[in-house]
Amino acid sequence: MSKIQTFSSFVKRLIIIIVGLLITLTLLFSLLAYFVPSVKELQDILLSSFGNPSLMLNYLDQKGLGLNSLFFKVVVFPGFTWAALIAAEIIWFERKFLAKMQMRVGPLYAGKIAGLLQPIADVIKLVFKEIIAPSSSDKWFFLSIPIIITSIAAALLAVLPVSEGWIIMRSDVSVLIIFALVGFVPIAVLLGGWASNSKYPFIGALRGLHQMIAFEIPMLISTLGVVLLTGTLDLVNIVYAQSNIWFILLMPIGAFVFFTCMIIELERIPFDLPEAESEIASGYLTEYTSMAFGNLQLGVYIRFYAMAGVFTTMFLGGWYGPQILPNGFEIANQVIWFTIKTLLVMILAIVLRGVNPRVRIDLLLRMGWSSLLILSFVNLFLVILILQTELSQIFGV
Amino acid sequence: MSKLSLSVGPQHPGSGHMRIILTLSGDYIIEAIPDPGYVHRGEEKLAEYRNYIQNIPHLERPVVLDATGAIFPYVLAVEDLMNIIVPERAQFIRVIMAELNRIISHLYYMAIYGIFMGHSTMFMWPVGDREVFIDLANTIAGQRVTYAFLVPGGVRNDMPEKVKEQADKACNYFEKRLIEYEHIFMNNPLFEKRTKGVGILPKQDAIRLGVVGPTLRASGIKSDVRKDDTYSIYNQLDFEIPVSNACDSWSRAWIHMEEMRQSMSIIKQCLKRIPTGPVKLNLKQIKVPPGESYSRVEAARGSLSYYLISDGGKVPYRVRIMTPSFRNLITIPYIMKGVMLADMPPTYWGIDYWPVEADR
Amino acid sequence: MVETSNTESTLIEREQKLAADLKSRFGDVLEITIKSKRIKIKVKSERLLDIANYINNELGFDHSTSVSGVDYPNSKEFEVVYHLSTYGREDFRDIVIAFSTRISRDEPKTLSLINIWPSVEYSERETFEMFGIIFEGHPKLEKLLLPEDWNDIPPLRKDFKPPGR
Repeated sequence: MSKIQTFSSFVKRLIIIIVGLLITLTLLFSLLAYFVPSVKELQDILLSSFGNPSLMLNYLDQKGLGLNSLFFKVVVFPGFTWAALIAAEIIWFERKFLAKMQMRVGPLYAGKIAGLLQPIADVIKLVFKEIIAPSSSDKWFFLSIPIIITSIAAALLAVLPVSEGWIIMRSDVSVLIIFALVGFVPIAVLLGGWASNSKYPFIGALRGLHQMIAFEIPMLISTLGVVLLTGTLDLVNIVYAQSNIWFILLMPIGAFVFFTCMIIELERIPFDLPEAESEIASGYLTEYTSMAFGNLQLGVYIRFYAMAGVFTTMFLGGWYGPQILPNGFEIANQVIWFTIKTLLVMILAIVLRGVNPRVRIDLLLRMGWSSLLILSFVNLFLVILILQTELSQIFGV
Repeated sequence: MSKLSLSVGPQHPGSGHMRIILTLSGDYIIEAIPDPGYVHRGEEKLAEYRNYIQNIPHLERPVVLDATGAIFPYVLAVEDLMNIIVPERAQFIRVIMAELNRIISHLYYMAIYGIFMGHSTMFMWPVGDREVFIDLANTIAGQRVTYAFLVPGGVRNDMPEKVKEQADKACNYFEKRLIEYEHIFMNNPLFEKRTKGVGILPKQDAIRLGVVGPTLRASGIKSDVRKDDTYSIYNQLDFEIPVSNACDSWSRAWIHMEEMRQSMSIIKQCLKRIPTGPVKLNLKQIKVPPGESYSRVEAARGSLSYYLISDGGKVPYRVRIMTPSFRNLITIPYIMKGVMLADMPPTYWGIDYWPVEADR
Repeated sequence: MVETSNTESTLIEREQKLAADLKSRFGDVLEITIKSKRIKIKVKSERLLDIANYINNELGFDHSTSVSGVDYPNSKEFEVVYHLSTYGREDFRDIVIAFSTRISRDEPKTLSLINIWPSVEYSERETFEMFGIIFEGHPKLEKLLLPEDWNDIPPLRKDFKPPGR
């Protein structure tokens, strides 16, 4: 904020404060008025629900906040809070796992058992730092890019089927939605690097752009194999089609191509060229501090979870799994199996992190435009073969 | 393609304490100008104001990883001027410490090479294994990193008895680990693709520019001060010099690994043949007659030399230190041409450039 | 290390031959002192380039290991010492020639030997900034190690006292 130098700028500042206050207070009061018509009703509900919690649940159901409402699905499960918790604990798991691979201990102190609260401690530390935007950068774009990237990552969660009834939005074209959202990320990365107005972010953003665009095509073509086999773009129907056999056994090449492209799109080590720390000093993330940086990292890990979930849905049979909980808990069983499979996919990606050095951009692009593209086409031909012959009947697809 | 001028400066995770000014065309480097001097402390001037014993602690600080290699030529030069002969046991202990420091420095080299390539496991394993050897140096000399252990006339103290057993354990452990390093790090296809054929320094250029150390041996010239201009008891020991004709970054890393093997063999031989006896000449005072002396030693990174001029007084008249990093600095404009930006930190670290040592 | 035994004469045979060769070609311009494996040649500055060329091409000392300046304020002189060594001639690999010349302290100027031994590039720059000696013919004689805003006398001269001494 610039200093107040003249009377006119003082007046301007005053008007902005007054208008802002008016808008905020109006919104707040209207929200409260919708949910709490009168203070007396709220008092009654709070007092009576001490002995009878289902009363409170009924009340919330009336207001549209109950367990089956859209609000609950979006915010708590399987939406943002669930994904954020998984993202935080996958960060912890990654650090512990890598530490064991590297002959050291990893997080140990935050949280009494084995440093479980370390990611939370990191987030709290980030909140207390100062958000700095370089003076020559484009401030609005610069500060809005983390929010955009995290929103895209969170939007991916909307079409992820965690179990048979628990999906935020079921649509006929969920595969297209996923790829549209994934395809917007390179633009956001480029904007972030450009808006920083500095050399290292610029180089990092260009690398991110090249990398992500090159690998969308093999990913699309391997997904095309799945879509051809099932004849639908709806993720829930794709899971239903795998009730007899998982697609990873029918098209292992396609699964391999999709997994590789997924890791590259997520910029995970060893493919973290856009933010290669030792060469270009954090790439397009260089100028981001405090919660902007924290937001970006949250977006990265939520996207990781979301894409792993997509892989599980398309190749590993979604929520299908043997019934390990007693009858009556089918939905919980499905959720557990989905989570286990997604976590296994993420663990595989973490193992890759400890074993390889970073790839160079020319090697990466060469691989993407030649080897992976060819492999994905081979996969497509194999799928067509399966469809045209009797194999599809044998596998019950 | 327009050019971008980039300053990989002192505040960069991949640069060390110095600056390289790059001119890029796209992703390829067309010009690289080094800019050292960020850690210059005036060692040569400081040495003229302290007497011969007081000089030892501060002269080994620039080459912090390889402290024995830094102070060895200094004591050799002083003994040359004073015309004294050091007892046998002290010479064996000096060689053990020198080879131990070589292993310690080479492990740090491998670690930082890994982190510059983005390979965090290649950083953690060598640094963890380095602790084994630092503990051994601690047992012998009493300090972990910089020892002030070598003095003109011998070494400061005798080794304790348990050194032989500890050294055997350390060498056996590490020989197995070296085989693992070869499989996992050096033969990793990604590592090979990124370092083979990168940072080429042809043989003629290496001779002309006067490079030293593993960089020289990676360019096909079989030269090592321990064999060419032999000093101390190296002529009684049996070891080989690894040489490679490939002249690229991978062979420099490979030579470092082979040298570690040879160093362990030397340490074992020394511990077997070490005689009993005094470890220090009982000099009442260090009285250096006037004269000049030039002595050189194969430190971990290359040939380190001292040019010592004494005028008979209490303090040296002129101490000229020539470190291997300063001599290899001249290769940076040559090997960086045509290298991609991503390969810049591993390439410049590959010539074993340590900024603190180059600046003194 | 110098061994004081009667094999000293065979130890310095090669050095004596080299010294005799140089003396026969260049005569009184040189002053040579010999120790085991170390030869010191003091040259007058007029024939500097010729002798340097001869040592490089004919004797085969193909690179320089260091360039030092030494300050003798009593005789108002600087001495510039080039240490030379060889990789090409394997039988001379342990010999180091100290090739030096004395120049006046008030007007310190000498010819740069960078065209003969390219390895002196950074060492000559360092000697320039530490002593103030100008090497004519050096392509880039600027500060290397000192900060750009150094405004005192060159620090390795004897009349520069470090702070606190």
